[in-house]
Amino acid sequence: MRICLLSWEFPPRIVGGISRHVFGLAKSLAKMKNEVVVVTLDFPGVPDYEEIEDFKVYRSRTEVGHPNFLTWAFLFNHFLEKELAKAHKDVDFDLIHIHDWLVAPAGVSFQHLMNKPLICTMHSTEHGRSGLHNPDSYMIDGMEWWACYESSKVIVTSQSMKGEICGHFNLSGEKVDVIANGVDSEKYDINIDRRDVRRSFGVKDHEKLILFVGRLVPQKGVEYLIQAIPRISGRFPEAKFIIVGEGWMRSHLEWLADQSDQRWRINFTGFISDNDLIALTKSADVMVIPSVYEPFGIVALEGMAAGVPVVASQVGGLAEVIEHNKTGVYAYSRNPDSIGWGVERVLSDPGYRDWLVKNGYEKVRTQFSWTAVAEHTMDVYKRVLGEG
Amino acid sequence: MSRYPSVMPRPELPEEFQFLCMLHNVGAISPERALNISEISKWTNKESSAIKNYLGRLHELGYVHSSKKNESEKYHVSITGIRKVLTLYS
Repeated sequence: MRICLLSWEFPPRIVGGISRHVFGLAKSLAKMKNEVVVVTLDFPGVPDYEEIEDFKVYRSRTEVGHPNFLTWAFLFNHFLEKELAKAHKDVDFDLIHIHDWLVAPAGVSFQHLMNKPLICTMHSTEHGRSGLHNPDSYMIDGMEWWACYESSKVIVTSQSMKGEICGHFNLSGEKVDVIANGVDSEKYDINIDRRDVRRSFGVKDHEKLILFVGRLVPQKGVEYLIQAIPRISGRFPEAKFIIVGEGWMRSHLEWLADQSDQRWRINFTGFISDNDLIALTKSADVMVIPSVYEPFGIVALEGMAAGVPVVASQVGGLAEVIEHNKTGVYAYSRNPDSIGWGVERVLSDPGYRDWLVKNGYEKVRTQFSWTAVAEHTMDVYKRVLGEG
Repeated sequence: MSRYPSVMPRPELPEEFQFLCMLHNVGAISPERALNISEISKWTNKESSAIKNYLGRLHELGYVHSSKKNESEKYHVSITGIRKVLTLYS
C-alpha cells in the first residue's frame, strides 16, 4: 500500500505525543512493506527531504508568515499542499492520513483533488484542551468537526476520546476506530549509570527522584504536583522533583514553586534530548502524571517501559492505560493531597513498587507496540479501500 | 498543610510569550530568516522600545538569538523558543 502521513509535528519537531505517534507508525508501516511518505513542516537544522528507516520525509518550508496564529496555520497548509504535490509526483498514494486539525485544509484539498480516501487521527480536541472560550477556539472546533466529517474513517487513541468526539461532533460510533498508542520499548533496553545520571540532574544517591515529563500547559496539571510537594517532602525529606518540558506556563509554575519554601527541591530542566530523557526516566523513583485532560498519555507507557512506577490522574486515556494497584496508582485529578498520597504509597513500600513495575513493564511490552498500532491502522486502511 | 489557595488563578499568556509567538509565526526561525527591529515592528505593529524590552528578556532566557548582519542586529527564535511556542498550539 502507498500511504501518505500528513502531520505538522515530526521529529525533531517534537511538541507532544503526535510526533512520537507519527514516527512510530511510519516506521512500523514501512517495516510491513508499505511505501510510506511523511509530509510535515520544516525545522532548523534538518533537510527538506530525507529517507529514514525505509520511509521518506518531505519537509515543507512556510515561505510567507503572518503574526496571527490561524492565518499562519492556513498559510503553512498551502505550502504543505505544494509539498504534497511534489511527493505525489514520486508516489501515487492510495490514501492520505492526517493527524489533527492543523493539517486538515491540506489533507481535505488533496483528498478531493486526487480522489483518494482521507483518514484522520484526532489526538485531542480544542473542546477538551482548553474549552471553547473565544472566536479562535470556536473556529478550531469547527475545523476539527470538518476534518472528521470529510474523513472516511476517524481514528482516536482511547475509548474516552471516542466518547468525547462522538458526543461533541455528533459522529456515528461506526465511523470511529480506537487504536491505542504504542511505545518503542527497546529504546529503554540500555545500560545506564543510574548514579551518574541522577547526579547530573542534582539528585544524590539516597534522595528520591520524582519525575514529571510533559508540556507545561494547563491540561498537564503541573501546578497540582507542585502543590503536593510540601506533603510529599514532609514524609520524605530527601525528595527531589524534576520537571522536564517546556511551555507557556513555565514562568508561572516557577513563580508558584518560588512561593513555597521547597523551591530548592525542584529542578525545571526545559526540553531535554531523547537520550537524556530515557536515562533520566530509568533513574527516577516515581513518575507523576497529574493531567486534568489526557486523551491517551503516551508518557505513562514510557514510564512503564522504563521500569518506573507511575502515579497518574484518573482521567481520559490514562484511566484505560493504567490498572490501579496493578500497573500504576491512580490519584484524583486536580487534587494535590491525592497526588501526594499516591507518591507516598509507592515510595513507602518497596515490595508494592516492584509489583507495579513488573506488571507495568509486562503490559507495555505485550500490548503497546508500534507494530500493533500499525497492524490495526492497516485494518482501517483496508476497510476504507474495500480490501478488508 | 498547603500554603496555596484551593482554587488557583489561571495565568494569562505572558505578553513576551505572545510576542515570541508572533516572531515565530512570521517566519523568523533561523539565522537566514532573522529580522531587525524595524522589520519586526512592521510585522507586529509594536513600538521599537517595547520590542527591545521583549527581545532583551527573551534573549536572556535563550528563546531568541541575535546576529549582526550589515551593521544591523537581527533576531530569530531559537530552537528552544520554537519548542516553547509550539506547546501553545498542540
